[in-house]
Amino acid sequence: MNRINFKDKKLLPVWDKIQKGKRLSLADGLVLFHSSDLISIGKMAGFVHQRLSGDAVYFALNQKIEPSNICALACRFCNFSARKGEPQAYEMNIEEILGRIKPDVREVHITGSLNPHRKWEYYLGMVGRIKQRFPQTDIKAFTAIEIDFFHKQFKLPVKEILKQLKAAGVDALPGGGAEVFSERVRKKLFPKKIGASAWLQIHAAAHRLGIPTNATMLYGHIETYEERLRHLIMLRDAQDKTGGFLAFVPLAFQPGTTGIKPSNQFGSAIDDLKTIAVSRLMLDNFPHIKAYWVMLTEDVAAAALNFGADDLDGTVGGERIAHDAGAITPPALAKDRLIKIIKDAGKIPVERDALYHPLDIYADNVIGKIPYLNSVLFYNYFEKERFKLLPIVPRRMGILSLKGKIAAGLFSLMDYLAQEDTLELMDYCIAARNQVKSVMLFSSKKWPDLAGKDIGITDDTATSVHLLRVLLEKKYGIKANLVRMQGTARNDGDFAAVLLIGDEAMRCKKYGLAGFEQVFDLATEWYHWQRLPFVFAVWAERKALSPNDKKDIHEKIRQTLAKEKRAPSPLSTLHGQRIGLTPRETKTYLDGFTFRLGKPEMKAIEIFRKIVADL
Amino acid sequence: MDIAALQTKLKKGKRISPEEGLRLLREAPLLDLADMATDARFRHNPAMRVTFVVDTNPNYTNVCENDCAFCAFYRHAGEKGAYVAPLNEMIRNFRTAAENGATTILLQGGVNPALSFDYYLRLVKRTVAEVPEIHPHFFSAPEIMGMSRLTDMSVSDVLRDLWDAGLRTLPGGGAEVLSDRVKRRISPRKGTTADWLSVMREAHRMGYMSTATMMYGHLENGEDIIAHLESIRQLQDEYHGFTAFVPWSFKPDNTPLGKTLSHRATPNRYLQIIALARIYLDNFPHIQASWFSEGKKIGQIALHFGADDFGGTLLEENVHAAANFLNKTNVKECIEIIHAAGFDAAERTTLYEIRKAFPREK
Repeated sequence: MNRINFKDKKLLPVWDKIQKGKRLSLADGLVLFHSSDLISIGKMAGFVHQRLSGDAVYFALNQKIEPSNICALACRFCNFSARKGEPQAYEMNIEEILGRIKPDVREVHITGSLNPHRKWEYYLGMVGRIKQRFPQTDIKAFTAIEIDFFHKQFKLPVKEILKQLKAAGVDALPGGGAEVFSERVRKKLFPKKIGASAWLQIHAAAHRLGIPTNATMLYGHIETYEERLRHLIMLRDAQDKTGGFLAFVPLAFQPGTTGIKPSNQFGSAIDDLKTIAVSRLMLDNFPHIKAYWVMLTEDVAAAALNFGADDLDGTVGGERIAHDAGAITPPALAKDRLIKIIKDAGKIPVERDALYHPLDIYADNVIGKIPYLNSVLFYNYFEKERFKLLPIVPRRMGILSLKGKIAAGLFSLMDYLAQEDTLELMDYCIAARNQVKSVMLFSSKKWPDLAGKDIGITDDTATSVHLLRVLLEKKYGIKANLVRMQGTARNDGDFAAVLLIGDEAMRCKKYGLAGFEQVFDLATEWYHWQRLPFVFAVWAERKALSPNDKKDIHEKIRQTLAKEKRAPSPLSTLHGQRIGLTPRETKTYLDGFTFRLGKPEMKAIEIFRKIVADL
Repeated sequence: MDIAALQTKLKKGKRISPEEGLRLLREAPLLDLADMATDARFRHNPAMRVTFVVDTNPNYTNVCENDCAFCAFYRHAGEKGAYVAPLNEMIRNFRTAAENGATTILLQGGVNPALSFDYYLRLVKRTVAEVPEIHPHFFSAPEIMGMSRLTDMSVSDVLRDLWDAGLRTLPGGGAEVLSDRVKRRISPRKGTTADWLSVMREAHRMGYMSTATMMYGHLENGEDIIAHLESIRQLQDEYHGFTAFVPWSFKPDNTPLGKTLSHRATPNRYLQIIALARIYLDNFPHIQASWFSEGKKIGQIALHFGADDFGGTLLEENVHAAANFLNKTNVKECIEIIHAAGFDAAERTTLYEIRKAFPREK
């Protein structure tokens, strides 16, 4: 993206904050909403999109299931709910639900009404049977409204409800039912629904159990801009505490026959785009902003991809709530249509699961961008070029590379070693001389006492996990059970130690991790044993890439490393700041790495390769 | 030249070449394009104002001999549903439109060999005489060509007779994509690129004003789009007879061409073309957002991508409707949409003179 040509100069101080990674205030949000400079607002949001999601726009092969419309509530804005016995009332049994799910679906999204006639076992059974029949699909089920209803109906604590749902197979909670966090609006439009604090408490409880969630906002009815912004700020504060929100989903209100006269009868597309953009700019700690085409229309959702949205939701077969309120969109979009929409927006279509793991990419020349502080500098000069960037954790990059979908990038050493026949090295790496600071074992015990114990490991990379095994088995001569951790739960008392990597490791190292007093740097452990650096990642590219492309990539990295040698780039500093590091701490951290693949590094790779082969 | 350099060149108000245009179409990020287009838009029309015209778009016949593969509207003579509207009925229709506030009738029809030239002349004369509130905006280039074939008169003589009858502007339809490679495949009997351009050239020379259209989203590629823009830009340099450029995307339902395509054009393609057109057509006074063909929401967004006109209110329309594409608006809603986009609204005439301003509330 080229520089922004501001027509509205009031936006300049806001842009200054955005570039410096400073948080926007409510007043900043009002400046944005009241500005007519739509394109500049879009470009600012696009800048943040690029920083967080690269060129990616995500979509899922997903399906919405609404098990019933029989509801104990009757909200004014809802055209969907019915009473038992009314002609439009319906209920699905579990078999019916299973029969509706298509086998290629990777995300089942279950929401519905508060049906007073069902038992708790019905819901657990529904989730469990779906997971059993379709193990490859993620289940995103039950809004906070429904969770609260279960809690009251079945007389179980919220935490217990969530625990049981998780055990049955729920992977994430959808973000519905938040409406607008304003008591004024709640009293007028949905007095029977839970308010902001109950909604937020349920989401926080889910996050603490390792269940990520989404968050929504229903806008375009009687709320004010200020109420919208307060809603966003409440979500931002909540995210600071738990970090469990995946995506924010602004929902355009569909008046239908609900009898509510919205502030803007026509439903201005400009308001939709601004709301998306302002959400992206205000919610600096939310990884994703979703353009939910069912509510926005396919047209506006497509446009929103250049206004800060990095997710188009998905194919959504089988949605009724919005359509009963008169949404004019088709009930489902084909996968190839989603792909074309994303490509025409100038982005790369990335198929995802419910937790935003990339499953496939539909574009060429994609460079995998490892989203850790020690990797930022490699990508400084790619942003404007013909290569497209996809932020992706090392393990997922390895998997997509196996499918031939990654042109180049920093590969986890294990992935490179497994794919040496199609990948080639290019003189660059991420190696730590004697400490890495971001591959850390947080332990409640000394090394020898970990024998036979459970160690929680991250899903994100293979190399660190192998290094841990090498240290346990070959350096200390013990075995432990390495257990993959789910979600964000860290201190449930399930593990004797946990292995964390990247930014998360750095954050926990700085602020401590309750229950784990001992902190071991794996690079230090390796160094004291082998007297060699440890190579965590290598820059590699497909052998099949054209010589021109290879040369181009080589040149970009050479430039960035030459500059970085003098001082960390603003992007690195900004990244460090986001994870709580001062510029000096960032510099010290980056100074601890070797980015060129020299003789000691090559030797270390060979030794590690042999030891791993011997495990 | 990279995109940033092109941006600088445009800021200086310089014309870009076809190669540079293609580069922008292929590589410029959409909002960079929008930015450049917005600059161009305010150079042409500095007011924070978007115009619209109260018009209607009836048809006098759907009988057509051209058999275009993209059309769901036409019928052959004698086929079920084929019609020719009697003159009296057309005049009545115009009268009603005028009573509903219309100032323009955008009239087009099939190229029907059974209609005499006299029909067309009398239609114009009677409209001017009997419905004086209405500005007749009649007959696209392919219809003019059809009249020329029918009467064995030159295009120039046909246009002269229509002028004498009282016609002053022509709609810009029938251009599709001005690339013979594409035209051969989608409308082989509708004339070549040169034919369309020569009708327009002749008309502009004589003093007619017209719009120029482009229907994309089928078999064309980036080069074809640039060739189209280049052709009309060159012609505009000669007589400055184009008032506005109006692109729209192909509506595939119920058409033979639609069956052969895997995709409809996407909304971002439309925004890209609006913006590119505003940048490229540096001698066109206006770019029209076709809310009717793209939907009100994309039409509204297009006002931030270089369009400064919202088209007509279209009290009646049959051609897109035949392809299952329906959109309705009225004057009140039109104004509301423009205001919500952050602009003042104004009703205009066919020739883009302001009739009545509808400023935003301050």
